[in-house]
Amino acid sequence: MARKSQGAGAAPHPRKIPRFDGPLTPEALGEVFRDCVDFTRRPVALEGLGELTLCYLGGMVRMERVSDYVLRPLAEDAQLRACGSMARAMARMEEGALYNLGVARRDTLDQAAADLVAGWCLLFFPGERAALSFFTGTEEKRSVSAPAGETVLKGARDGFVESVRTNTSIVRRHLKAPELRIKEQTVGRQSLTLVDVLYLEGVTDPGLVEQLWDKLADMDVDGVFSTGGIEEYIVPAHRTPFPLVQYTERSDRFCAGLCEGRVGLLIDGIPLGYLTPAVLGNFLQAPQDKSNSWLLATALTLLRYGCMLLTLFLPALYVAMVTFHQEMIPTRLALSIIAAKQDVPFRSAFEVIVLLLAFEILQEAGLRLPQSIGQTVSIIGGLVVGSAAVEAKIISPAVLIVVAIAGIAGYTMPSQELAGALRLWRFLLAVLASAAGLFGAVMGAAALVVHLAGLESFGVPYLTPFAVSAGAQAREHVFLRRPLPQIKQRPAALRPRNRRKQR
Amino acid sequence: MRRGAVLLPAAALLLLSGCAAPSLTGLLPYAREIEDMELVRTLGVDAAEEGVTVTAAAGGADGETGTASAGADTVSAAVLAMQVQGESYLYFGHVGQLLLGEDLARRGVEEALDYTLRDVEMRLETALYLVRDGTAAEALEGAEGSAPDRLEALADGTGLSADTMTRSVKDVLADLADRGASFVPALAADGALTAAGYGILKDGALAAWAEGEAAKGINLILGRVDADVVDAAPPGQPPAALRVVGARSLVRPVYENGALAGLRVECTVEANLAEGPSAVEEDRRQALEAALAEIERARIQAALDLASAQDADYLGLRRAAALLAPWRKTALLDGAGMGELTLTARVEAKIQRSYHADG
Repeated sequence: MARKSQGAGAAPHPRKIPRFDGPLTPEALGEVFRDCVDFTRRPVALEGLGELTLCYLGGMVRMERVSDYVLRPLAEDAQLRACGSMARAMARMEEGALYNLGVARRDTLDQAAADLVAGWCLLFFPGERAALSFFTGTEEKRSVSAPAGETVLKGARDGFVESVRTNTSIVRRHLKAPELRIKEQTVGRQSLTLVDVLYLEGVTDPGLVEQLWDKLADMDVDGVFSTGGIEEYIVPAHRTPFPLVQYTERSDRFCAGLCEGRVGLLIDGIPLGYLTPAVLGNFLQAPQDKSNSWLLATALTLLRYGCMLLTLFLPALYVAMVTFHQEMIPTRLALSIIAAKQDVPFRSAFEVIVLLLAFEILQEAGLRLPQSIGQTVSIIGGLVVGSAAVEAKIISPAVLIVVAIAGIAGYTMPSQELAGALRLWRFLLAVLASAAGLFGAVMGAAALVVHLAGLESFGVPYLTPFAVSAGAQAREHVFLRRPLPQIKQRPAALRPRNRRKQR
Repeated sequence: MRRGAVLLPAAALLLLSGCAAPSLTGLLPYAREIEDMELVRTLGVDAAEEGVTVTAAAGGADGETGTASAGADTVSAAVLAMQVQGESYLYFGHVGQLLLGEDLARRGVEEALDYTLRDVEMRLETALYLVRDGTAAEALEGAEGSAPDRLEALADGTGLSADTMTRSVKDVLADLADRGASFVPALAADGALTAAGYGILKDGALAAWAEGEAAKGINLILGRVDADVVDAAPPGQPPAALRVVGARSLVRPVYENGALAGLRVECTVEANLAEGPSAVEEDRRQALEAALAEIERARIQAALDLASAQDADYLGLRRAAALLAPWRKTALLDGAGMGELTLTARVEAKIQRSYHADG
């Protein structure tokens, strides 16, 4: 395979290697691509020497390149015809008689098949055991554009696209240091997805790179078609709903992560960059924090933490207070709640949980539908059904307000994965509060802290720096986003080779 | 793992259904829906021929007040008897005011205060009032509008009045435990629930009323004067209205021949010229200050005279004096009774400014 594991000392991949055994011939290659309408095999006469065979996959190659860089020289180059033998002609072509930028000699069926899939074309020479492979791939892809999922107010708008090579080029343009390393593996038996590991040599902890590399090498899956296709194999995602890998569409954010000493991951076909390790604090920082005034960024960060607590605990606290601890509610508010709940037939806990479920259903319905219809569904669900339910005394307005505030507070999370995890725990806490009031909610909160404290992302505790000391000089952005000139060092938890990031 | 995945939702559904409540009563807190409750905001306790009568005023969000009443040997029993009268559960966690009728207060307040101290729902921060010349039930049932709202407004407005202040059950209990005497704001059982000075408690029972000048003297001694308007008429000068905006007092022990002979309250009163001719001239200002000092001294003296007459340190004067002479704390606290001490007042008044640009 052309793009098999390249890491020195990497563990042998469990895939069958070679994938296709046997001699490299046009017939064998034809057998590999049997019943494939896009497989093209075309004889090409080389005057005076015999007949060559050109193979390629239609749609994967750019026809002009095949015609101009391969076929035209074969037809017109007099010196090739004067070579005398196929072996000499082949050597001459390999040395540059054909204009193509990329040429490689292939002598295994595996390599040849992988080349065809990658957009190369193969030229077979009668009597030769090897073939020449020329890169003539098409570069049809989505153009680089602003990230759709992450709003950019002030910052680079070159978001990642589906082509991993385009993405690596974007990163190279942002990080021009030659120390930027881009290692590549192929993951997926069927998808043969290219997965690139990016890091800055001299900055990133090599152990971190090795750990990620080994995990990728250990993967033996059918294909990588979604973000979870890699994420769930490199971190213990089955243990937690909380995200342990950070992903971003924004190249500037990705590069900032690499500069911090984190390891990046780019996957062919997925317009996202992954950053590891990732701790809780990373998911509460928005990319534009560094573009805003440090005071504003600090205030917004504190607001996000507040919203995180609000979205997590508000429904549970409401249930606990109206069911168990009525003395905690200010008298006037308690009287209002009582007045609002008169004639509502359901228990408060039931109301809250059903409304939380309804909120999730509305959100899911809005997401699955086209944007315009989705908005309509949200409006109908939120306003019409909500107010009708209140007027019909099916739910109380207080519960509607509580669930709405909790839901809206959840939307302030910069990471959708974190917001999703909080939504799950919100349910659990509400159920516990309905069973045991504040005691249940506090027990749930304690369980959450224990759960989070037990998580690690590539050896870095998830609650760093809350539960783990980040050192006396820790000045990285957690609650307080200091002025950038004051942040002299990279986060110690990442164990960077060079902690100093500025003079 | 699979078993857990099944049990967890099952347990959650069981809890939500309410079926689990009786079996888990011992393990989990007892749930009670807020809409099934009637929030009692004011509780009144009166003396009855045998035991006590408890009156509860529950306020709704619309300002309407409903009352319930029951009698029994003890406050707890009366409250329990009241619980079974209506459909809703009477919840006492929001009781903001506790009213005690005069008869009960004369018999003793400890039973009512002890109930507040021990009950799981009642709070020690509850404001305590005595009903002068009436019962708590009369005050609550005869109040114009919502009695709790009226009492809350009264508590909120104490800063504008120089003859009343709020006292919590905790304050009074602490005073009684410390020095066997205390004072409690009093209300008239009229429809408006107007402030009626203070009731002086001694040995757990109402001993006297402090009204008028004496009530204002209590506020001056305790420095609880934020806005009081005093008409000062210095001899030979036009009168003026002075707004008293602050008072600071300290209590100094007075010794004669090495023995504690009395206590002197030294009060500094700050006032502004609210109405009347300008006080820019030094003579006029001094005359106004002297007139004000004399008025305020008389008020303080009236409050002190009550302490002497009742032989009750209801204002904590001894402890205040001990702050100035901590090395004589034991002698001050355990020495002669208030009736044996000479209690005097000295007031210094200061007019700070006028509300007019002419000074």
